[in-house]
Amino acid sequence: MAILDGKVPPGPVAEKWTNHKFNMKLVNPANKRKFTLIVVGTGLAGASASATLAELGYNVKTFCIHESPRRAHSIAAQGGINAAKNYQNDGDSVHRLFYDTVKGGDFRARESNVHRLAEISPNIIDQCVAQGVPFAREYGGTLTNRSFGGAQVSRTFYARGQTGQQLLIGAYQAMMRQVHAGAVQLYTRREMLELVVVDGAARGIVVRNLSTGEVESHAADAVILATGGYGNVFYLSTNAKQSNATAVWRAHKKGAYFGNPCFTQIHPTCIPVSGDYQSKLTLMSESLRNDGRVWVPKNKDDKRSPEQIPDAERDYYLERVYPSFGNLAPRDVSSRQAKFRVDEGRGVGPSGQAVYLDFRDAIKRLGESVVSERYGNLFEMYEKITGENPYQLPMRIYPAVHYTMGGLWVDYNLMSNLPGLHVLGEANFSDHGANRLGASALMQGLADGYFVIPYTIGHYLASTALPKVTTDHDAFKAARADVDARTQRFMAIKGSRTVDDIHRELGQIMWEYVGMSRQETGLKTALEKIPKLREEFWQNIRVSGDATGTINEELEKAGRVADFLDLGELMARDALHRNESCGGHFREEYQTPDNEAQRDDEKFCYVAGWEWKGEGKPQELHKEPLTFENVKLATRSYK
Amino acid sequence: MNYLKSSIGRKQLMGLTGLLWCGFVLSHMVGNMLIFMGPDAYNKYSHALITNPLLLLAEGALVVTLLVHIFYGLKLKFENQVARHTRYAMPTNGEKAARAHSKFMAFHGTLILVFIVYHLVTFKYGTHYVTNVDGVEMRDLHRLIIEVFQSPGYVAWYVLCLIGLGFHLSHGFYSAFASLGFYHPKYSAWLNQLGYVYAFVVAAGFISQPLYVFLFARAQ
Amino acid sequence: MGGTSQRNINLKLKVWRQKGANQQGHFEEYDAKGISTDASFLEMLDVVNQRLIKEGRDPISFDHDCREGICGSCSMVINGNPHGSERSTATCQLHMRKFNDGETVVIEPFRAKAFPVIKDLSVDRSALDQIIASGGYISVNTGNAPDANGLPVAKVDADQAFNAATCIGCGACVAACVNGSAMLFVGAKVAHLGLLPQGQPERNERVLAMMDKMQELGFGNCSNTGACAVSCPKDISFENIARMNREYAKASIKKRS
Repeated sequence: MAILDGKVPPGPVAEKWTNHKFNMKLVNPANKRKFTLIVVGTGLAGASASATLAELGYNVKTFCIHESPRRAHSIAAQGGINAAKNYQNDGDSVHRLFYDTVKGGDFRARESNVHRLAEISPNIIDQCVAQGVPFAREYGGTLTNRSFGGAQVSRTFYARGQTGQQLLIGAYQAMMRQVHAGAVQLYTRREMLELVVVDGAARGIVVRNLSTGEVESHAADAVILATGGYGNVFYLSTNAKQSNATAVWRAHKKGAYFGNPCFTQIHPTCIPVSGDYQSKLTLMSESLRNDGRVWVPKNKDDKRSPEQIPDAERDYYLERVYPSFGNLAPRDVSSRQAKFRVDEGRGVGPSGQAVYLDFRDAIKRLGESVVSERYGNLFEMYEKITGENPYQLPMRIYPAVHYTMGGLWVDYNLMSNLPGLHVLGEANFSDHGANRLGASALMQGLADGYFVIPYTIGHYLASTALPKVTTDHDAFKAARADVDARTQRFMAIKGSRTVDDIHRELGQIMWEYVGMSRQETGLKTALEKIPKLREEFWQNIRVSGDATGTINEELEKAGRVADFLDLGELMARDALHRNESCGGHFREEYQTPDNEAQRDDEKFCYVAGWEWKGEGKPQELHKEPLTFENVKLATRSYK
Repeated sequence: MNYLKSSIGRKQLMGLTGLLWCGFVLSHMVGNMLIFMGPDAYNKYSHALITNPLLLLAEGALVVTLLVHIFYGLKLKFENQVARHTRYAMPTNGEKAARAHSKFMAFHGTLILVFIVYHLVTFKYGTHYVTNVDGVEMRDLHRLIIEVFQSPGYVAWYVLCLIGLGFHLSHGFYSAFASLGFYHPKYSAWLNQLGYVYAFVVAAGFISQPLYVFLFARAQ
Repeated sequence: MGGTSQRNINLKLKVWRQKGANQQGHFEEYDAKGISTDASFLEMLDVVNQRLIKEGRDPISFDHDCREGICGSCSMVINGNPHGSERSTATCQLHMRKFNDGETVVIEPFRAKAFPVIKDLSVDRSALDQIIASGGYISVNTGNAPDANGLPVAKVDADQAFNAATCIGCGACVAACVNGSAMLFVGAKVAHLGLLPQGQPERNERVLAMMDKMQELGFGNCSNTGACAVSCPKDISFENIARMNREYAKASIKKRS
């Protein structure tokens, strides 16, 4: 085990970033065009980084798996983006946003990173508004805000329920402007399959053209990964179908440490699974819990229609267990409580894997028109998917995976332990600790891309000797050979199970044992089952079609699921080693008498960075100790 | 790009020329209603038009705008066919259907063109009867019309073409305004209705004339 | 209760199969059996594909990603209509309860010269990105922005701009258009940026550049059929086309007079 150095600059937390910006080396404008940078991913982080780096004068090569960069999954974020603007004059400040985020992350994030994020947050809003992002406004023409979980101030900027879409379109347009200017070379429908490391530094990637199957190599002076999270390891999640961990995982296998893989966030209000054909899950905004009441029948196997169950036979369990917070209990707590009820056999709906979110009383109290004004679009979406009218019947909801706080380990400069490899957005582990607050994912993605990487990558380029490397280098040839070999191996198996079939089974294992609440025995079971499933995968999958010439989605999926199988195992191992509960990581053995997460700050106040040791060998654990000088370590209480 | 080569520029020319013709067909239809008033009223009206020195100017303008309308109409149509070279197994339908008749503008347009030429040959350049009204010698167009509309085939052809004109106008009227940039969430619906009323009035007005002649007016 | 109205239905699919852009395509028939009415349209295709893979056949290729109606990946023309017959709905949000047992469903790719088929139902819509690249942005480098509240925007304008900005770039408007025109897509972007004060400096150049690009890329000319707006899963209004016509004329006069 080694101690990881986060390279946090010295000085008071509020001055670190300012001082660091001054102390970092610069690349002079004329020299910038001599550098080529690779950006993988075009979500908020990737698109904003591509645009900004190109504006600065670098040659940028940007890659995305979609047919258009605008389709990255940032687009699906609904709620909003936090910023310490204090436009509401309600006492917000950079320090308060910093404090809320550290506390919300259950003290498992790096203070210095979080503070920088809070400092940058106002600039993000300025930038986006200047780009034409149509944030919600007051009649007077100024920007409006709403409140979000985990904060006592109103600091969330939003664009109806489509904030992610509007921010992404802003970043995408800024990037397309650079494409037009020739500063960004855009490669769509390319999937990164290898990171190329030359003399210990990241110097390029190998990608597969998803339309033609051709394998291409691209060299650069540094590589930036902004490829999102790995929630799809659970098969069913709110992530898009193509969201995957392959880019980060292949980088991990080339030496990049994986940080806190077990930190996943489960969102309490999603539309439940309706059958085994289910392909993904849809989130219903958390705001519904402001007026909806969550309940299950008191009796097991109560098959009556919900409106026929009298109040006396309903268990409004959140109100019962958390009398002060009631239906507005925090995300992780509400999610776990729903799982407890289902485990007791009191779940509802055809699958029994759901609880009710009932608006009957709200409609009685406020009238249907007020409820419709507040939640109309969500009710419509619910009806479209389920065919049920939530004005008449309670919604059925259940928790679902939707964000991963873990990711590749990076230092303060967003560079991984592999020199030259930078990781942004959800793909890195950095700012959210063990639990992310609502409306902070968009903030982090754009902070990393617009305002952090443009500075820190310059420092890397200016302070590192980077001999010229072309794709003729042996490291590229070897990486290509690995890609070809893997493809051939997938095509040659010709077994009887589809890739989705195995993926679904992996998802069930992960959900059962590495999901909302975990325990030692379950995690050990997962560590037995996953390798067996992996063996099954490598012996019995069937990839039909051709490897080249045209689209082969089965081949794409095979590569991704192969990586998910490895990553799932690492998540279980990380969860098993972390003998405490914190944020999204809940170990049943470590809880307070009233079922709250019990941290162990003496033993686990660190970031776990896992090092790949080769196929079939367990990863080695390295630790980056976390120190809290500005926010006092305390039990996170929402009582 | 040159405005006259641009997609929108040419559409706007289509709209402008179309609107000009909308005005012309309406006035033509209203003027011809004098057929119901008997030969003298009708011939006096046509005489006044024919002898007006401005007529040549108006005719020139109509011909030029029509040629522009046809030229760009066909050009756009050909380009559009290239832009959507493959057809679907079935067209958009139900709530997603295109505006009624909007997809057949080139078809009605061609029909109307043939009609116009034939119409001019039959009437403007047809038999030159002469009559005398209130001591003024003038062309007896009324007589020619009565004669021509005795033929059931000609009347049927005429009615068919005018139905085509009605359809063409029913989309064209609204479309011209849209191309020229007029749209209002409230008034556009109203304009759309007006377009249908206008198209109906023009077509029905024109159709009433040969039908009246065929059914009720016999050549002397 | 909950889902008790769920049934299983059987469908006959007539699906367009095409190996590549330059190859001939044709319809093939498939049975979709025992499909839950709670499944989405794409999940129905998943079920068919899983069977095809197990039979060693090539699965039907189609674009999809978020499956929440926001990324704009899914396309397809279902029974003649882009994204199917239900209004304000993307294919991924179309559910099988809208179909009848025993029904034949015809599934085709979006068809337009500017959208070449890559494979089966998957088409290349990168032309839309090229249109954006030609001018669909506000030129402001990172760091150049004034305070966000420095320039108030009237709520009416902000709301109208927002309505136009909800375009997901799926291309259904092009697919629905008998002329293969992208006027609604371009019009929405011109409106989104042109209605905001931040978008004013480039307002004229933007509309000219984007329209010229659209034409250059082989999209057709608008004939105001309105099919685009009714096919739009995000209900982008036809108004955006008329507004752009106006803007284009004005910009032409200003620039070229």
